[in-house]
Amino acid sequence: MPEPLISQATIYRAVQTAIGEALQISEEKVTPDSSLIKDLGVESLDLIDINFRLEQDFNIVMPRKYLLEHVEELFGEGTAIDSQDRLTGAAVTIWNARLGSAGAAVRAGMSIEEVPALVTPRTLVMVVEEILATCPATCPACGKSAWTVADGRTITCGQCGASAPLQAGDDVIRQWLEDFRARGGLTSSTP
Amino acid sequence: MGPCHGRVALVTGSSRGLGRVIARTLSEAGADLIINYRQAGGRSEAQARALAKELVERGSRAVAIQADIGQKDAVAAMFQQIGAEFGRLDILVLNAARAPFKKVGELLKRDLLELVETNYLGNVYCMQQALPLMQGRPGHVVFISSLGSRFVLPSYPLGSMKAAMESLVKQWATELGERQITVNGVTVGLLKTDSLIVLRQYWPGVERLPASAFVELEDVARVILFLCTDAARSIRGQNLVVDNGLSNELLHAAPGS
Repeated sequence: MPEPLISQATIYRAVQTAIGEALQISEEKVTPDSSLIKDLGVESLDLIDINFRLEQDFNIVMPRKYLLEHVEELFGEGTAIDSQDRLTGAAVTIWNARLGSAGAAVRAGMSIEEVPALVTPRTLVMVVEEILATCPATCPACGKSAWTVADGRTITCGQCGASAPLQAGDDVIRQWLEDFRARGGLTSSTP
Repeated sequence: MGPCHGRVALVTGSSRGLGRVIARTLSEAGADLIINYRQAGGRSEAQARALAKELVERGSRAVAIQADIGQKDAVAAMFQQIGAEFGRLDILVLNAARAPFKKVGELLKRDLLELVETNYLGNVYCMQQALPLMQGRPGHVVFISSLGSRFVLPSYPLGSMKAAMESLVKQWATELGERQITVNGVTVGLLKTDSLIVLRQYWPGVERLPASAFVELEDVARVILFLCTDAARSIRGQNLVVDNGLSNELLHAAPGS
């Protein structure tokens, strides 16, 4: 894989700052594996605020929906969350395949209400990285391969100045889920 | 002495945003305040407690009570506490709202239940529990609606619940007319609160609209205060638009133009 234009450390610092500013808390309280909800007291509106700040920082569009909401939309209601609001086996398979490395763990039968508490700064870093990774090799406006990171955060074409056309976060998740299904990831989880 | 002196007021969802300003305004008008918030252990709990403390320090009676108004048992428990601590209720402002931000076609069953539970059922639960505490005296109820009840906003299914709310206002006003309890709605325009944080993600450029497109929180709160005074006792079952005139104009200059 080529060296990313924006380093993971830069993204992490931006995540830390976004959380600190949105919650008006010291950035030192934010650690990579802090539960945004349980450890930092984040509520749903705060998460939207944090996402908005990251969008401004990197000129990206963060996902509006959680992974498991996308699963339900793409593969049908009941695929990820059963009628008692508990995670299904398929939800666990998908979650672990996608977010396993980000540290959070889920289990079948867990209440969906517990899932948002699994979001950590590390999860947000991963989401931003994935979106930035959708930057095409060459600039669609001028055809040159001359991406630069002018102000340290936003990717622009060094040749023509165009902003990098990055996929929206929700599209990245949907694409990942489509690919996962295409390579048989879902069927192998069916008992 | 303020126009609400000696009255007891509950504002649902008053830890932050508009609800917080309404609670403060009613308190400044002399009312004792119950500050309600939904989620225990989070930021809104801290903010609700801080507000209650601030009002107490200014000489008002005030408490913060946690209750998810979408849960009937939680509402009953909150009103039991209000009854025990205050013995009465005179003013009820139904401000709490909670909704997914999605297109209608994308709403899952869970989203639909969340919409209906908090924004429809929750307000009915609160009314049903409040009425015994309002027995035998004039009272005032204000529902907080939004322009979403009449106009389409992007990814704002809450608007359909606000439309239902504005219908409920008329039904309650009629049912309670003989009891000298006024019921009205305030249809709020664009606010610079946490709601703008949400809106700007679904309505690109909304934060760059001219200042005149927004209505001040304090202006909205003052109208609500008026509706909660005896001077407004003949206003019944109305939904007052408080939007700084935004909805009068079809044409608005595009941001940046």
